[in-house]
Amino acid sequence: MTNDVLLQILAAFLFCTGMLVVLLRRDTIMILMGIELLLNAANLSLVAFSKSAGMIEGQLQVFFVITIAAAESAVGLSILVNLYRNFGSIKTQSATTLKG
Amino acid sequence: MSPVIVILSVISAVLALTMLFTRNAITSAICLLGVLIMTAGIYGLIGEHLIATIQLVVYAGAIMVLFIFSIMLLNLNTEERDYKDHPGAFAGAVALGLGVFGFLAYALTEHFRSHRGDVVPGPFTSEYVASLGGNSKVLAHSLFTQYYVSFEVISLALLIAVVAAVVLAKRKFD
Repeated sequence: MTNDVLLQILAAFLFCTGMLVVLLRRDTIMILMGIELLLNAANLSLVAFSKSAGMIEGQLQVFFVITIAAAESAVGLSILVNLYRNFGSIKTQSATTLKG
Repeated sequence: MSPVIVILSVISAVLALTMLFTRNAITSAICLLGVLIMTAGIYGLIGEHLIATIQLVVYAGAIMVLFIFSIMLLNLNTEERDYKDHPGAFAGAVALGLGVFGFLAYALTEHFRSHRGDVVPGPFTSEYVASLGGNSKVLAHSLFTQYYVSFEVISLALLIAVVAAVVLAKRKFD
């Protein structure tokens, strides 16, 4: 088992854990953290494949993905603050109407 | 296979599982921070120094501070784990996760076992990157020549996200 296989399997494991966090937890902030874990797993997979194939396109994609993840978490957390202000809770089951 | 990478991988896998099963939101955030730092260490060990730095500064620095700050702001108590009320759904989700992981692990090992020779390697081997002046120089050169339109567009997206976050989170004045 080489480094490449180990890193790809670690990325797959982190991806599945992030998927389970998104599926199982009922806190919206935990769901956002699960999305961050999913993006991190995808980044690890991109960097490892690109490194083993002798390319740099994967690393550049990871640069863009990290930027988009920062933007996504800023917008997501401010939506979450609004959710707390309107419903008094950030559980997914408390936000049952679209009108705030 | 470097033993340090194995240790970092095992630690980050354990931290990811702790993040999934812990009750407390702040414990989850600290575990996620640990996973991100371990990933940055792995990037550094395989020679991707620029990505490791960006991972530490942006992910482990900025994004996790934002998460911990909003956990503090929203004053989250201990979460009652209501997936315990639906053991069928819990077991189904865990089985789905294990199934996806098993499929991915099988596909990856099979790919690396049988198609290793089919991959045409690119020019950027470690020696060539070192002769060009290092990882950061190569990535920055490519970023500011070949991908400069993407770079500008992504900075615009970041600006829009900042404005949107401020507009969404501000209190409404009457």
